Amino acid sequence: MKVLIVDDSEAFRKVMIELLVRVGFSDVVEAQDFDEGIKVFQRDRPKISFVDMILPGKSGVELTEEIVKTDPKAVIIAMSSIVNKKMIRQSLDSGAKDFLLKPTNEIALGAVLAMWSD
Amino acid sequence: MSLFSRKPKVGQREDGLGISRKYSLQPGKCYIVEESPPDLSFDAFVNILSTQEEACAKVTGLAISRQHPDLIKQKYGLEKTPIFWLATRAGQDVIAPTNLGILTHTIVKFIEDSSCGVILLDGLEYLVSNNDFNKTLRVINQVMDHVAQSQCRLIIPVDPRALDPKELALLERNAEKIVGANAKRA
Repeated sequence: MKVLIVDDSEAFRKVMIELLVRVGFSDVVEAQDFDEGIKVFQRDRPKISFVDMILPGKSGVELTEEIVKTDPKAVIIAMSSIVNKKMIRQSLDSGAKDFLLKPTNEIALGAVLAMWSD
Repeated sequence: MSLFSRKPKVGQREDGLGISRKYSLQPGKCYIVEESPPDLSFDAFVNILSTQEEACAKVTGLAISRQHPDLIKQKYGLEKTPIFWLATRAGQDVIAPTNLGILTHTIVKFIEDSSCGVILLDGLEYLVSNNDFNKTLRVINQVMDHVAQSQCRLIIPVDPRALDPKELALLERNAEKIVGANAKRA
């Protein structure tokens, strides 16, 4: 199962890839912003996309809306390093299925993947 | 103000966020989370408070931390959860690290008043450095006994580098251990 990570921090993407491999998901593609995110999504059609809500340029909420337009069945997990309730609700309203607080860990990541990978 | 006047406001539940529960921490249990910084502990605390639970309609929280309450509220979006600051400054929501009586009373009172709460006690190393390990352990064990007789959960993040292996073993004896990704042993 293919997983997409969209985050402008290369270090965070590396940590996420390591965590994903540890919980059994090694087919991972990555992107650093809106433009690359939509391009990689359209090319690879990942089953789950982890999208940081704060991206340079267009936001993670806008990327979520665009991905859902492309594929209404896309599973998007919003991520952020703070719990901004307004932004989380915006993400869920625009089509994200769940939220992960950064930095995440194996327990939270494993739970999200178990819930949304079927 | 009487000695035991600090009473956490119980019964104010955080609004649900419509996200899923990611941590299956059992009621009546204590969890020692080996990590530094306490990211997993705070994530679990906030996640439990922000999600619905079938068995309990009203999960409330109590946080006691070395971090300033304003920072915690800002980062984790907590609006209704009482947060106490472990510090030597005077103030309404401040607990002095040497005042283990007030600390114990605050937690026990919350457990008694809350049908199914979740407690985060962050700053164990600070308590140990201001008291001694055995004195702090007695308080933790006392709180754990109250938790065991309730539907509450207790989360204690610990930096394993700050304690020797024997102290860590004593602390974990009556609790479930969770090892965070960022845990480093001494």
